[in-house]
Amino acid sequence: MTTLQSYLILSALLFSIGLAGALTRRNAILVLIGIELMLNAANLNFIAFWRYGPHPEALTGVMFALFSIGVAAAEAAVGLALIIAIYRHYKTANLDKVTTLKG
Amino acid sequence: MNAFSYLDLLNLLGPETILVLTSLAALFVDLGALRDQPLPRRWLAGGGVTALGGLLAILWLTNVTAQANLAHGILVVDPLTQLVKVVLVAMLLFTVALSLRAEFTEHVGEYFCLLLLATVGMMFLVSSEDVLTIFVALELTSLSLYILTAFNKRSLVSAEAGLKYFLFGGVAAAFTLFGLSLIYGLAGSTNLREIATNLAGKGTDPLLMVALIMVVMGFGFKIAAVPFHLWAPDAYQGAPTPAAALIASGSKVASFFVFAKVMALGFAGIEGNGAWRQFAPGWVPVLATLAVASMLLGNLAAIAQSSVKRLLAYSAIAHAGYMLLGLLAMSNPHRRADGMAALVYYITTYGLTTIGAFGVVQIVERTGGDSLENFAGFSRRAPLVAVCLMVFMLSLAGIPPLAGFFGKFYLFTAAAGAEPGNLGLLWLVIFAIAMSAVSLYYYLQVLKRAFVAAPAEAAIAPVVSFMERLTLALLALAVVVLGALPAWLLGPIADAIKAAGF
Repeated sequence: MTTLQSYLILSALLFSIGLAGALTRRNAILVLIGIELMLNAANLNFIAFWRYGPHPEALTGVMFALFSIGVAAAEAAVGLALIIAIYRHYKTANLDKVTTLKG
Repeated sequence: MNAFSYLDLLNLLGPETILVLTSLAALFVDLGALRDQPLPRRWLAGGGVTALGGLLAILWLTNVTAQANLAHGILVVDPLTQLVKVVLVAMLLFTVALSLRAEFTEHVGEYFCLLLLATVGMMFLVSSEDVLTIFVALELTSLSLYILTAFNKRSLVSAEAGLKYFLFGGVAAAFTLFGLSLIYGLAGSTNLREIATNLAGKGTDPLLMVALIMVVMGFGFKIAAVPFHLWAPDAYQGAPTPAAALIASGSKVASFFVFAKVMALGFAGIEGNGAWRQFAPGWVPVLATLAVASMLLGNLAAIAQSSVKRLLAYSAIAHAGYMLLGLLAMSNPHRRADGMAALVYYITTYGLTTIGAFGVVQIVERTGGDSLENFAGFSRRAPLVAVCLMVFMLSLAGIPPLAGFFGKFYLFTAAAGAEPGNLGLLWLVIFAIAMSAVSLYYYLQVLKRAFVAAPAEAAIAPVVSFMERLTLALLALAVVVLGALPAWLLGPIADAIKAAGF
């Protein structure tokens, strides 16, 4: 097993854990943490592919990872703001209770 | 790395720069100068500033001819992208015109600022052929739209719709990013055309298929295709109506355009085959499946709706299914221009129609709500607006001579002609035609309430401002004229596609 493969297995594992968290957790904040894990798994991929790829001097993978870290931060900020808005109305962050819209 | 002067860059990015500056101006004017003024005046001032910026951007787009491809597709400016940007800014302007009498918030400056930033995101989305900038622009658009959805802070459903939109969007973005990282690993590049070159000969590598599905998931979420549509009905219903109009029009236009580019340019060579009983793995059968599911579920679920905003959401899902046919038509590189022309014509006319429909819904909402019952006898309470509603609904259903009919006609022709030899996608076209017959039922349901049913005893005539009348009349006129004279729009689109060398 090459080093790249072990990185890819680790990132696939991280992604799966994040997805499982996002799908099974009932608390909106824990779902948000799951999403962040998934994004970070992709970042790990970018770095691994950059480091072991044919053109490590091009820095594309690093750039992509940096941008996605920035985007993930913005996403967390917006997400927490929306969770606070929900909390104001429902007095809970439990997604099972947030079910006014249906159909 | 070639050096390029900032003045050239400003020349290429003029419209985006203007809109970003306008977003700051709207914020400063509202928070600085107008803080103590009455709310209607603040809406008017904010809308005025935004409209001024939008008009300047359109003037720039139509008068400054520039063509460039900077830094391997990170910024692509050609006649086609400029044309689509004009459409996007026009949709922003219509949305602004419909929000001038809004009462859902006191944060006027922030509202216009976010509308503008969402539009800037869409414009960058249109202008990039590099997955890095596509991802960043996609997120700029999405994050602005999440906030706009939840903008009505007093409303419980608005907050709920925003959170649902965000959570689905966040997971979809994570899938896209993971898919893009795999593609970067496989192709060693982030430029769409280089990806296609480097992927050629890989065939149906399992990892490539995983990456393909993950990328399709992300874009499928943005265009609200089944099975990634779950956010759409909730977001459309809960969002403030003008915000829903922008989500349904501008965001759709930009997402479809870039989706088409990613598929046709980035995954060129792994189309597979979608012809009946000759299926071969690739992106064509994947999108064909999404199209069938969207048309089926969208049209059937729309029949059961009582909220007209939800009905429009399911109709949007069905329309996403039709529009996917345009993407499928682009799978044949020799016929790509036809498919692109049909797609751009369809998304443009569809976007204009949807903004109009949401504009009418907003007026009806003032009389109590957006359920079908509230439309009863609407033609007697507001005749002009009801006629506009008729034009929009019939165009969505695809009745000639309205724009919706010609959009469908060109789209289905392009899809049927994609494989000239064996009429490969004909089965899908037949299915789409059958499904648009189904859609007529629920559009006519709305019109029946508005024109035939007697108004309720306590029904009050809605207040309609001059600006709303003007906007709706203009939109209805555009739908009729673009339907009667489709060459007015198709001609420029075809010229732009030729000039862009797509």
